[in-house]
Amino acid sequence: MNLYIYVIRRLLYVIPVLLGVCLIIFILFNVVSPDPTFMMLGKHASLKQMEELRRELGLDRHWFLQYLDIVKSAFTMDFGRSWSTKQDILEMIKIGSIPSLTLSVPAFVLSTIISISISLLVAFYRGSGLDKFVVFLCVFLMSVSSLAYILFGQKILAFDFGLFEISGYEPGFPYFIPFIMLPMIIWIILGLGPDVRFYRTVILDEVYQDYVRTARSKGLTERAVLFKHILKNAMIPIITYVIIRIPFLILGALLLESFFGIPGLGGITLNAINSSDFPVIRAMTILSAVAYIIFSVLTDILYTVVDPRVRLK
Amino acid sequence: MKSILNAALLILIIINMASCTKKVDTSEKVLNLAVRSKVKGMDPIYANDMYSSNEVARVYEGLLEYHYLTRPYTLVPNLAESLPAVSKNGMVYTFKIKKGVLFHDDKAFEGGLGRELTAEDFVYSIKRLADPKLQSLGWWILDGKIKGLNEWRDKYADLPKVDYTEEVEGVKAVDKYTLQFTLEKSFPQFLYSLAMPFTFAVPKEAVDLYGKEFLNHPVGTGPFILPMFKQSNKIVYTKNTKFRKKYYPSTASEEFKKAGFLEDAGKELPLVDKIVVNIIIEDQPRWLNFQKGKIEYLGIPKDNFDSAITPSRDLSPDFIAKGINLLVSPSLDVTYTAFNHDNKLFSNVNLRRAMSLAFDINKANNLFYNNNAMPAQSIVPPGIAGNIKGYVNPYRGPNVEKAKQVLVEAGYPNGEGLPEITYDCPSSTVSRQIGEYFKKQMAQIGITIKVVQNPWPELQKKILNRTVMTYGIAWGADYPDAENFLQLLYGPNKSPGANGSGYNNEEFNQLYKSASVMQDSPQRTALYEKMNRIAAEQVPWIYGVHRQGFVLHHAWLKNYINADFNSGQAQYLNVDLKEKEKFIKKL
Repeated sequence: MNLYIYVIRRLLYVIPVLLGVCLIIFILFNVVSPDPTFMMLGKHASLKQMEELRRELGLDRHWFLQYLDIVKSAFTMDFGRSWSTKQDILEMIKIGSIPSLTLSVPAFVLSTIISISISLLVAFYRGSGLDKFVVFLCVFLMSVSSLAYILFGQKILAFDFGLFEISGYEPGFPYFIPFIMLPMIIWIILGLGPDVRFYRTVILDEVYQDYVRTARSKGLTERAVLFKHILKNAMIPIITYVIIRIPFLILGALLLESFFGIPGLGGITLNAINSSDFPVIRAMTILSAVAYIIFSVLTDILYTVVDPRVRLK
Repeated sequence: MKSILNAALLILIIINMASCTKKVDTSEKVLNLAVRSKVKGMDPIYANDMYSSNEVARVYEGLLEYHYLTRPYTLVPNLAESLPAVSKNGMVYTFKIKKGVLFHDDKAFEGGLGRELTAEDFVYSIKRLADPKLQSLGWWILDGKIKGLNEWRDKYADLPKVDYTEEVEGVKAVDKYTLQFTLEKSFPQFLYSLAMPFTFAVPKEAVDLYGKEFLNHPVGTGPFILPMFKQSNKIVYTKNTKFRKKYYPSTASEEFKKAGFLEDAGKELPLVDKIVVNIIIEDQPRWLNFQKGKIEYLGIPKDNFDSAITPSRDLSPDFIAKGINLLVSPSLDVTYTAFNHDNKLFSNVNLRRAMSLAFDINKANNLFYNNNAMPAQSIVPPGIAGNIKGYVNPYRGPNVEKAKQVLVEAGYPNGEGLPEITYDCPSSTVSRQIGEYFKKQMAQIGITIKVVQNPWPELQKKILNRTVMTYGIAWGADYPDAENFLQLLYGPNKSPGANGSGYNNEEFNQLYKSASVMQDSPQRTALYEKMNRIAAEQVPWIYGVHRQGFVLHHAWLKNYINADFNSGQAQYLNVDLKEKEKFIKKL
């Protein structure tokens, strides 16, 4: 099948998925959750003002019209203004995405490279002391709470030793670098445990395949076997694992951004949840759903690039 | 090999950049502040929380303000030339506006130069606060107070556009510099609303030009300028070089005189060149940044309290050596457990008294407030007229034996015959813990409590719909007048008004009605005190505490006062650069 037709067909799946996402959002916020006008008007809320506010926000209209509003915003990407901050939501997302990406992209890339490299190394020396040590280390790193890394990093590395900024953010390259170093290191450490264990398992699955024995019997060097054969064949699960996490990078890291004062999308989302800011939560949910679909299509396409046996149907 | 070397070099460069952490600047007078919540924006009509109103008040100003160095809080003119002339019936307030006050330069004005403030700007700003399309968060301060304003608001609620040119009888610009308010009925607390950021003056030209983006383009008359507000982790203000001649006060209450707060008397405001507001939500980074001298003052986070304060409630010697000072100041607030008085069970005053007597407030103070709060004896906190100094509530716990005895008088010996009583609270961890503590305290006299946690809007809804039995909550003053607390027990204010518990006592209501139209006087204070006693002895609520702020500040920060109503404070603060250079080395 033509690649373009495949992509278009997959992207058309976005429509029913988005309609479903909109329905879930509608049920969650219009049916289940409490009246947002209480939150917005604060301790001086009067019934009359709440009624007026509901009318201004369109919450007194028929439920189907409110659902249509959500659908419309999902397809036009016009999310309106935040109920809490009165800011334009698209503008908020634009402003917030840059700090989030300056932290998440380098952290994610470095974390992936380091994890795959360590996995290859331990897979190569499988069963050795090094392998056992790395597996133990991974379990240990996973057992420690993320909050512990943050508190330790800020107190010891930033405050006591002065190696990093305690918190904050300066926009523009290279000013942001000192501010993202510590959260980036913590991100990498947090990812190492689960990532190395996953990649190691994937690579070990390939190590015992017949084609590896064939390659070795042909006299190929271990390096060639590892990089040209094993790694290439292990790429499908690795790509799936890596690419499907990319949409979540845009959402930012809630805890890291909050503790390190990085004005990213994580903080915006957290703030919106705390203040029942429905339009912002709706926008973030819709964007995540769209990004997830797009990147899953991208994953499928990349399969064909790394493995000629895969055909798009 | 070459690529490995390049990668190593790159890593070294990055590590080098990372290690270059920013040093504290001691070359210019910069006020470094930290706030723990996102700032909503810079539109005065939406500034309903402490954080937003503090930011708004750096740029905008109102007719009145609180004298910086006088306690009890006293209103003084700010953009008004003097305090208003009040008509004999207390219904008409006439203000003269200061001449020559300029708005900040902005492209909204002709030639980009800020124009002069006039009385019309206040008329416009008040109407904006009432505009039904804007759904301001400060409408409650004027709701039903100004003649014709409610009618104007209601008229445009269902129309597509609001006409600001239509005259409202109660708010008029008599001439360029004279502003007149006519009230629906006498309401002496009206003046407090004119010191709140909601009523600060905004120029129509800027609102028209920026439309919905006005909240990001603050154009005021205030001491600091913010060219553009961005949702970020940092807000940087610069000194308004065209700020009108305003001087640091030369008079002060005795306590401030003694503490040396008049050193800057007569100096032109503002005293610093720049303000940097850092938004740091989590406690730990805020605490660490303060200790590094990157923040001038900070309320001590609960978890760090013991490291900074000794058991005798003094500052620890380590902090003193670093030039850090401690300020302890009571807040104008009260925490309480309210009864739903619509529930017949709680019409039994002895039941309410027994529950109050069984509640150990001292232990609660220790558990939840680091023993820093003051157990409340009644509704009005210390620091404002109406609080009775030295008064002890006869039904203030802990006194379990007396509680058991009063419970017998209530007709429920050992709690027999009482249904399970629900206690609704917000869903935070501390609120849940307070709920569990309440349950345990009531169990001592045989009363069974069920703790119900609610998201904040849900709790508000339950209170409004009167579907709670008891609930735990707090009230912070909107203005420094006992009326702001006593209104919470005034029968006709019953929910959906401010009286969430629905308490209704004829004697109390009559006293409130009389006092609410009286100007500040010893007679009014006597009425307030009488109401305060009724509120104690009739136990409409189980009183909790009046909280106290424990704030640390560096020695180089001058004129800092921890106050409830300090939105315009930044203009009075000063930074002693020599002290800063001396102490920063020790941090």
